This record gives sequence, C-alpha cells and structure tokens, in this order.
Amino acid sequence: MRTLPFEYAVRNLGRSPARLTLSVGGSMLVVLLVLTAAGFTRGMEQAMRVSGSPDAIMLIGSGSEESIERSEIAMRTSGVVAASVPGLLSRAGMDAVSPEIHLALPLSTGRDDQGRLAVIRGIERAAWLVHDEAKVEYGRAPTAGRSELIAGRLAARSLGFEPPRSMIGTTFQLDGEPYEVVGIMSAGGGVIEGEFWTALTDLQITAQRDSLSTVTLRTDGADLVDLQSFAATRLDLELAAVAETDYYAQLAAFYRPVRLLVIVTAVLIALGGVAGGLNTMYAAFASRVREIGSLQTFGFSRGAIVWSLMQESILASSLGALLACGIGLAVLDQFVIRFSMGVFGISIDAGVLALGLAAGFGLGVIGAAVPVWRCLRKPIPEALRAGE
Amino acid sequence: MALIECRHLTRTYKRGAEAITPLQDLDLDIEAGAFVALMGPSGSGKTTLLNLLAGIDRPTAGTLSVAGSPVHTLARGELARWRSTHVGYIFQLYNLIPVLTAYENVELPLLLQPMSRSERHARVAAALEAVSISDRHAHYPRQLSGGQEQRVAIARAIVTEPSILLADEPTGDLDRATATSMMELLARLNAEQGRTIVMVTHDPRTTEWADTVLHLEKGKLVEQAVGGAA
Repeated sequence: MRTLPFEYAVRNLGRSPARLTLSVGGSMLVVLLVLTAAGFTRGMEQAMRVSGSPDAIMLIGSGSEESIERSEIAMRTSGVVAASVPGLLSRAGMDAVSPEIHLALPLSTGRDDQGRLAVIRGIERAAWLVHDEAKVEYGRAPTAGRSELIAGRLAARSLGFEPPRSMIGTTFQLDGEPYEVVGIMSAGGGVIEGEFWTALTDLQITAQRDSLSTVTLRTDGADLVDLQSFAATRLDLELAAVAETDYYAQLAAFYRPVRLLVIVTAVLIALGGVAGGLNTMYAAFASRVREIGSLQTFGFSRGAIVWSLMQESILASSLGALLACGIGLAVLDQFVIRFSMGVFGISIDAGVLALGLAAGFGLGVIGAAVPVWRCLRKPIPEALRAGE
Repeated sequence: MALIECRHLTRTYKRGAEAITPLQDLDLDIEAGAFVALMGPSGSGKTTLLNLLAGIDRPTAGTLSVAGSPVHTLARGELARWRSTHVGYIFQLYNLIPVLTAYENVELPLLLQPMSRSERHARVAAALEAVSISDRHAHYPRQLSGGQEQRVAIARAIVTEPSILLADEPTGDLDRATATSMMELLARLNAEQGRTIVMVTHDPRTTEWADTVLHLEKGKLVEQAVGGAA
C-alpha cells in the first residue's frame, strides 16, 4: 500500500490551532486521569506488598484480625510469649518481640489547629529489630520519657513537610501533650513510612491506655503454627497469631473494592473523554471530506487515507499523553494519599507511564476510527461535492 | 479501436423508493488525442459520465473500456490503482491540499508510482514548467490566485502522464481572462502533448477550443458537433 507522506499528517495538525489544543488537552486530561488511577492503585499495592516480613508474626486480639487499631491485648503478653515460645530471633541479648500500640490520633501544631489524623505507633527498642526495614534516615529514634516522635517519610510529606527532614524540630500537640519530631525514618516504601513512632510508655500515658494493640515478633526456628498453638493454649490472653505478610495481604484485599471503584471511575470519565475526542476528530475530518474525496480520485486507497488520518489523531493524542506523563512525573509521583491505614504515595513508575502512553495511543486510534469511517463511507462523487 | 468505449452505459441511483437515471444506455467512442466538451443542462448526466470515465463511480449497466481496460469490471482496489495511472482529474474548485506547497501538491499523485525521488523531481519540475507556474513551486495554495491554483491543479493532473485528462468545469470559478488563458493551456496540452481531454462545461465560449462537443439531455446523447459550433 502506497501511503500519504507523514508530513501531510503532521501539517494537518496545524490547520486549526484551537482544534489541536482541544485534542491535545483532552487527551492530556484523560491520560492524566489514567495515570492518577493507575498510580493510586499501584502505590497502594506497593505499600501493602513491601509491608511485613515473611518471618514476622503478629499476635493480636482474637476477633480483631482485620484491624490492628481495634485490637487490645494484655500488657504482659510480650513477656509471656518471650518466655514461652522457643525459636524467636534474638540479637545482643534482645528478643525480637515488639509490644506495640497502634492509634489514629489527630496531630496539631497549636490550639487553633484542628489537627490531622495520623497513625501513631508506640514502640520499644525491639521494634527496630522486628521491623528491620525501618531505618532512621535523619535525626534519631525517640527516647522514652521525652515525648518524642520519629516520622515516616510519607507521613512528614503528608503534613506538608518537603523535604521530610524539615519536620525535625517541629512540635505537635498529641492529645494535648507536646511531642517533638526528632527523626525521619524510611521503610522501603511500606506502610511504616506513613506512620509516626513514639516510645510505648509515652503513648500509653498520653492516650491513657493500659493495653497493647499487638505484639509482633520475628522467628528464628519457630513458625506460625507454634505461635497459633501458643495462642490456643493461652486462652486467658485472647490472642490470634497472624503472619505479618498475611495481615497486609488481607488489608490489600479489604481495599480492593476501593481500587476497583477508582479504576471504574477513571474508565467512565475516560469514556467521556473519548466521546469528546470523537466529536473533535469528526469535526476535523468532516471539514475535509472533499479533500479526502480528491485523494481517492488520485488513486490513494482507503487504507492509505485511514492510516494518514489515524497518524494525525495518534500524533495529537500522543502529544497529550506525553505532556500528561511529564506532569504525572513532576506532580503526581509520590503525591501523598491519606488513608485509614496511614498514607501511601501515588506511584508513577515505568509500568504506569507505559499504561498512560498506551491509553494515549488508544485514544488516538478510537478517537479517529469512527470519524474516519463516517467520512470515508461517502461515495467519491458525493465527497467531491461536499461543502458546495 | 477508440481510447474510450462506452456501450449501453447506464447509471441509476436509488433515493428511497425512487430510482433516478442520470445516464441511460449511452454509446460513445472517444479517440486518443481528442478534446471533447460535454455540455447540457443541470441533471443531464454530464458529470455522471465524467465520474464514470474517471472510475470514481460505477455503471449500473453497460460496459466502459478506457485504453483497453474494462473499467466496469474492476474491484475497488484495482480501480484505485487504475485511476492513479490512467486518469488526471481537474476540479472546478482546484481541490489543492492546503497544507502542501504547489510542488508537493503536484508530487502527490506520483507517490503512488514506483519511482525514485530524482525521477519524481524531474516529472514535477516538467509539469510545473508546462503550466508556467515553476516560480510559485514553494507557495501554498492560500498564497496563489485562482488562476495560479488551477494551473497547479492542471500540473497535478498531467504529472502522471495519464491516458485521459478529465476536467469538471475547469473555468467555472475563474474570471473571463483567466478562463481564456486556462483553456489555451488545455488546448496546448492537447495539441503539443497529444493529451486526450474530456471536459464538462456550462460555458459555450470554452467549446471553441474543443474538437468535439457532445450535448447530453436527460441522460442521453442528443447531439454531437465539431468544436466551436456549439
């Protein structure tokens, strides 16, 4: 098939700057929406996927397996489990048994500030051994008795601290108590990055809480069955043992409908965008029906004309998609989303960018297909009379 | 054997339940090198005949042979290829592609031919020279006058060296002086290059350049006269 010159498609784009702007802008908005939806689901998935270690087991309140924040277990649990279950990890005399309180509390900067809900985890030193993906990036870990916080990178950014280390030295009100941020931590993109950690005893006093949310431990020989047996024999503690990875997998499954809703909404809006694109492209091609008839008269096949008009549409939509990808990388990537489980960052990675570009390409093809078909179905003599 | 042979050529359109027959049972021979003017009132079938000769419309009945090709039997793709080598078409409103320069407009039909870039360049230059518009080769249609645009359109029609040159009221949109100069150009192409030209016209003045004038009425050939006698 002999095709029309590529320049023909390129130059046709410049015929109507207003129409070109509409096509490029429409495509950009649709692709931006696709990037947001895909980046949102990807970010949430990644946060869940990298959270938890395969050899970490959580002891939580029986009946609260789906929400650590609702879980309440006895303070003595950590001592009992360390003494009763062999095969737990131990380093430098410290057992990898981490008693923790998980609370969602408002953090405010002053009296006039209503505060924003943040996930606060009360920990002891063993937490750094159990959650070894958590690393102090800047500053230091909080010291017990001094009402100090260490913030996850995303948690700091979610409160507007960019770069996150600029949060160090800031004092927040936590249930009326002043807490100072003394460090910033990272955790490989996991949910810990969306949390604030403080000393367990400090949080107990502030929140007036006399129970734990969880005891998380790292095994070194013991396995989940051993911990489930322990929970089954110590009925007085009312415990359930859950592998940490299973807990986050359940959490991911719990939020699957949210992700689905985001995707469906994005698809529906994108379809609206496609309808708008169809309209714009039809207007662009319909004004050139006579020209299309002339090209057929010269001997250009329908295939050659379809290809050229498709090139034109794909060029416009791809330009929009490229702009959207640029904006996505600059603005959306790692944009912090707050959630009941904490926060996560929108992830615009190579896969999401590829999806955005594919969406732009698809928009170009679909946006041109119907208008091209409508313009080419006219018999040539009728097309040559168009506009007379 | 005539270059163009029409036998019982009929074209019927259906518009709802109504059947319209703008061309009915036409027999016509046109020799190679002829300059034929087709005249007749609106709806007489002259444009329908021109479209059938150009291979952009198909007869409902009858046969049409151009340069030995049975045009009425060709499938859509074959017909498109046939048009690219056998037909040069001049439109009343020039139909130049606005985003292409005069040179690129003339070059366009050659892109359908297996031809090197240098050969294409030589053919385009010769066609532009033949219609005396070489100096405007880099201009876009919007930068040309009506007469200049029609010259470019004629160059585009002759650049493939087609078997027949078809013109649909080529002077219909031009002032009198420009129309005269355009007809002189067509007559020169006919006389010097031996181009076979079939032209639809409403303007009796333009028939003086044709060697044959055909009158159509209600889809039938009612008169055949020598040019200038119309």
